[in-house]
Amino acid sequence: MMNAVGATPLIEQWSEAFRAVPQSAGPDWLQELRSEAARQFGVSGLPNRKTETWKYTPLRLLEQQAPSIEAAASASPANDDLPQTVVSASSGMVDILNGRLIGDLPETPPGLTLTPMADGFEAFGATLQRLLPAAELAGPANAFTALNTAFLDQGLIVHVAENTDGGSLLLRWSRLAETSARLDNFRLVVLLEAGAKFELIEQFESAPDSRGVLNVVTQVELAAGAQLGHVRVQRESEEATLLTKTTVGQAADSRYRYFGFDLGGGLVRHELGALLAGEGADTDINGAFVLDRKRHVDNHISVDHAATGCSSSQFFRGVLGGASRGVFNGRALIRPGADGSSVRQSNANLLLSPLAEMDTKPELEIYADEVEASHGATVGQLDETAVFYMRTRGLSEDESRRILTAAFCHAVTERLEDRDFAERIAGMFDAAMPGGLDSAGER
Amino acid sequence: MLKIKNLHATVGGKAILKGLDLEIGAGEVHAIMGPNGAGKSTLGNVIAGREGYEVTAGEVIYQGKNLLELEPEERACEGIFLAFQYPVEIPGVNNTYFLRAALNAQRKYRGEPELDSMQFLKLVREKLEVLHIGDDLLHRAVNEGFSGGEKKRNEIFQMAVLEPSLAILDETDSGLDIDALRLVAEGVNRLRAGDRSIMVVTHYQRLLDYIVPDVVHVLADGKIAASGGPDLALKLEEQGYTWLEQGGIKALKQEARA
Repeated sequence: MMNAVGATPLIEQWSEAFRAVPQSAGPDWLQELRSEAARQFGVSGLPNRKTETWKYTPLRLLEQQAPSIEAAASASPANDDLPQTVVSASSGMVDILNGRLIGDLPETPPGLTLTPMADGFEAFGATLQRLLPAAELAGPANAFTALNTAFLDQGLIVHVAENTDGGSLLLRWSRLAETSARLDNFRLVVLLEAGAKFELIEQFESAPDSRGVLNVVTQVELAAGAQLGHVRVQRESEEATLLTKTTVGQAADSRYRYFGFDLGGGLVRHELGALLAGEGADTDINGAFVLDRKRHVDNHISVDHAATGCSSSQFFRGVLGGASRGVFNGRALIRPGADGSSVRQSNANLLLSPLAEMDTKPELEIYADEVEASHGATVGQLDETAVFYMRTRGLSEDESRRILTAAFCHAVTERLEDRDFAERIAGMFDAAMPGGLDSAGER
Repeated sequence: MLKIKNLHATVGGKAILKGLDLEIGAGEVHAIMGPNGAGKSTLGNVIAGREGYEVTAGEVIYQGKNLLELEPEERACEGIFLAFQYPVEIPGVNNTYFLRAALNAQRKYRGEPELDSMQFLKLVREKLEVLHIGDDLLHRAVNEGFSGGEKKRNEIFQMAVLEPSLAILDETDSGLDIDALRLVAEGVNRLRAGDRSIMVVTHYQRLLDYIVPDVVHVLADGKIAASGGPDLALKLEEQGYTWLEQGGIKALKQEARA
């Protein structure tokens, strides 16, 4: 392959790995798509500081570890070796270990089907042929989607039939410690037919010394009136990289509700784009994170209002201690003709340490009429008047700071409808809070 | 209960209190009046231990203890309560949770057993009944989105639950309409007790129509300029603080002596 501008030893290494993959499974169009994707990442290379959407998220950790792309050895660990589940889901649990489906898929209620990607080309051929090539591959900003597509093998298709409540499903992503760092790709396709309802909960955890990259691309399609709740709870190791890219296509009156809770990870980036394509569609994207040490969390949210009377909300809260770094980029585009749209955005961040850094950028582009828009972004310290107020009621300074810091994230957990689950997540945030100003860098 | 001697305090390097003397006995209600900038709020903040208020001379003795040596939370645990002029909004912290954490911190300090949520709820219901307050405040975040009147009522409610020995009400009447003022004042009156002293800091006399003090002090230029009975407040209301500054103090002192 020609050495392109962005080519690095890593790209060379991965291109080599691509050529070594036996191209057997799947239809012809998929082989072509894979080759095209491989060509794209070979040409564009990895995102760097000049790539606008990756400017604040350097890939040092990944470059240091130089993960290889190779299928993980099949493993069937004892359940005790896997992390505890954060919730008991009504429609069962799917285990994904080191980027591979393990164990049997759960028996699902009528209307909900779970299909491994390898088996999906029969049942969902036409949909996949439309959906998989729709993922953007060009340019360094999309390098990881291109990689994910080139190595497309492991994946899961979740389908909920028309006017059916598919209940809730837990995806338990785990990574065990391994001697060499790997980059694992996984494709998740979530299809809700008209009027369907579903809750998808994902938990991401890794063994304390596990390294490498998990690169998940998720494609969601919500038909008219469909409702999807989507929650991610992430507690990865300090050496682990997690990259997620989620695109949500929404037909009329559909509703998407997302909660991203990041309580760990080394380098974490969530890209989430919702396309409000049908009248009256609604998307509500929430996130909270607490970081210490040198952890890095980047939320790149983009909502595209392409129809009339749609509403969107982005609500993010971050607490940063140690030498951690956070990024929030919230874009909302109201296209011409998308009149009567409502768009809200709120992003507030608390810096607990002088070494922590937060980059936040709201981007509102409005080209339609009668649009209701509000946005606010803040980066600050704890309100010292509030600390004093609490002390005058008898609480110690440490306790006051701890309560105030945790409360910051509770603003997000409180938006969860399930009160028990909200309390459990709030408790996880409380436990993860850095003790206060004096404990910067410590958990 | 409280003995303040020759208190000097600075805020941001500027002298605000310049030799203040004040003594409040158990069960007494004292009003501190004075023009803007006289040091009324500074006095409350110094007693509560706010950072940035530096005591440069004098002493504050509370129940025989040197108050100035204690942290704000220790003062609270010793029974001092400051009702804020501007109660702070704390989004994400439930009012009930906050108050229970505060009460239990104080009980722990005093070596008393902490209250579990059932015991606490029972206590809270009793206090709400005494103050004739609905329980809507309980379920909300501390002061978040409260109206001016609700915030002040919440302060009085906190005071009722924490049962302080010395309560300082800092401009509790500010920003209240007459109905809200009456409600808050009634709440304070129900909390008057033989073992509880109250310092009412106010700019206007009207609050004192509802909370009738035992003693009225006029604070001017960082000192107590005059002290007297409730009539003194009326006199001030009638004449205004300008009169006071233009030599009225002398007249007042003579009146007080007479």
